[in-house]
Amino acid sequence: MKGHQRLRWERALDSEAIWPLMAGFGALYLAFFVGYPVIYNLIMSVQQVTLGNISTVFRPFVGLDNYRKLVDDPLFATVFQNTLIFVTGNVALQFLGGLALALFFQAAFPGAAFFRGMILAGWILPPLVIGAVWKWLLASDNGVINYALRGLGIVSGPIYWLSDPATSLIGVTFANVWFGVPFNMILLAAGLAGLPQDMYEAAALDGAGPVRRFFALTLPMLQPTIYALLALTTIYTMRAFDLIWTMTHGGPVDSSNIFPVWSYHLSFELFDFGGGAAVSTMMLVVVFIVALIYVRSVRTERVS
Amino acid sequence: MRRWLLTAIGAVIAGFYLFPVYWMYASALKVSDELNANPPTLIPHAPTLAAFRWIFERENIAQFMANSLVLSGSVTILTLVLATGAAYSLARKKSVWMDVVLIGVMLSQVLPPPLLVTPMFVIFRQLGLINTQLAVILATTTKTLPFAIVMLRTTFAQVPVDLEDAARVDGSSRTMAFLRITLPLARIGYIVIGALVFLLAYGEFVYPVSLLSKKALQPATVGLYGFVGADYSDWGNAMAFASVFVTPVIIVFMLLQRRIVSGLTAGALK
Repeated sequence: MKGHQRLRWERALDSEAIWPLMAGFGALYLAFFVGYPVIYNLIMSVQQVTLGNISTVFRPFVGLDNYRKLVDDPLFATVFQNTLIFVTGNVALQFLGGLALALFFQAAFPGAAFFRGMILAGWILPPLVIGAVWKWLLASDNGVINYALRGLGIVSGPIYWLSDPATSLIGVTFANVWFGVPFNMILLAAGLAGLPQDMYEAAALDGAGPVRRFFALTLPMLQPTIYALLALTTIYTMRAFDLIWTMTHGGPVDSSNIFPVWSYHLSFELFDFGGGAAVSTMMLVVVFIVALIYVRSVRTERVS
Repeated sequence: MRRWLLTAIGAVIAGFYLFPVYWMYASALKVSDELNANPPTLIPHAPTLAAFRWIFERENIAQFMANSLVLSGSVTILTLVLATGAAYSLARKKSVWMDVVLIGVMLSQVLPPPLLVTPMFVIFRQLGLINTQLAVILATTTKTLPFAIVMLRTTFAQVPVDLEDAARVDGSSRTMAFLRITLPLARIGYIVIGALVFLLAYGEFVYPVSLLSKKALQPATVGLYGFVGADYSDWGNAMAFASVFVTPVIIVFMLLQRRIVSGLTAGALK
């Protein structure tokens, strides 16, 4: 009897049923703590949610009122424009900076890998620390950046980087580009290292110069990496909330307010959870579309 | 000669890039007169630990740091336990369902916490978990788990199936072969991924700041925010706080730098 039971136990450990079981725990966790909030968010976005009825699920249904209110809000145009500028600026500058660094450190010189690795330190730092340090660097009176700009004769008076509505978005973009460049650099460096060298030798023999080789060979062959990277950077830029919240709080007068900041402000400072959920849902749709592009480009890259 | 010129340029680029980190430490060591000096001094003339003493005595940074360690330690353990099974089956079993799970994992990897925090807050409030560290641990794990699954899957895929098959021929069950052969071979991967998960959780801000209003439970990210979120900031003390908070991150990074670089590229592109 005992032997029979042992056999069954061992057969269970050996069975094919182990696969769905093993995948199950992680998948269920994500379904409950990610899938459910996403759906719950969608539901809240068509309800009137206040601090008073927050504990119940059955709240007044208001249809698309939350969305209508947001779009009618004059702030919507401002936030939309800020988000567009912030995301495009970040994606473009991080990509170009990352590409320049990746190409430079691709050259074989002593210490290349070491210095490239050092630069990655910027990406590993918590956004809160980056926000704090950059706020100090950009401080108008004693900030070292203003001092350097004045010393070089570029400006005559101090720039009120984060307290002037004209420059606050530029200030937070600087900090976020600094944060994101290493990630772009590392992924592009990996992409460059994977390119077949013999084609470059052949092209060089045919008389193609470095610039020509870059545009005719490197860029086309890097394309899958570039698509995946641009998609990832777009998505990661949505996470800049921490940084903006630390540096400017979205201000002054909403000049650095982007959608994630607006959503948080609505939910946690005005306690308009329905409005916050509606902003989140709109952004989640955008993120999902970009994420699908990312997943597709990564998967086709793996197949090819 | 040209190669050493490139080395020099590389050093200048890295130095220029890392200047903000240096400036954080340098500012933390300055007395307040020197902090506001014009022109600013590149190297502190009279380095002092006064700011560090202040944040330990007045700002209770030790409590914040202890909370950070508890939160990120728990997140790391929960994440690795949950990720192991999912990553292993995703690496070994090919089927339509596994593809569905994988795409779901990759999609949840990209959802930004600031967009999930509103429903999280309401859900945890209904569960009565607001102002508990459990809520922050559960919420933060949604950010680290997809990342860990994707990375561990790559690690397991590198362990040859033949080794497991050999063990099974010798009479081991599938589960035993995994525990005895595959898991030990993946230990380096576990160290690197565990370290990265820990760092991600250590730097998390949105969930703790929204789910914990009791100061005694808050991690150091929220403590640092209390310093620099205001319009006026005491920069010497703020930089000292940031230095104490971030130094463990920098140490872990230096120790594992090479492996982090290769792990990151594999995780994001495969």
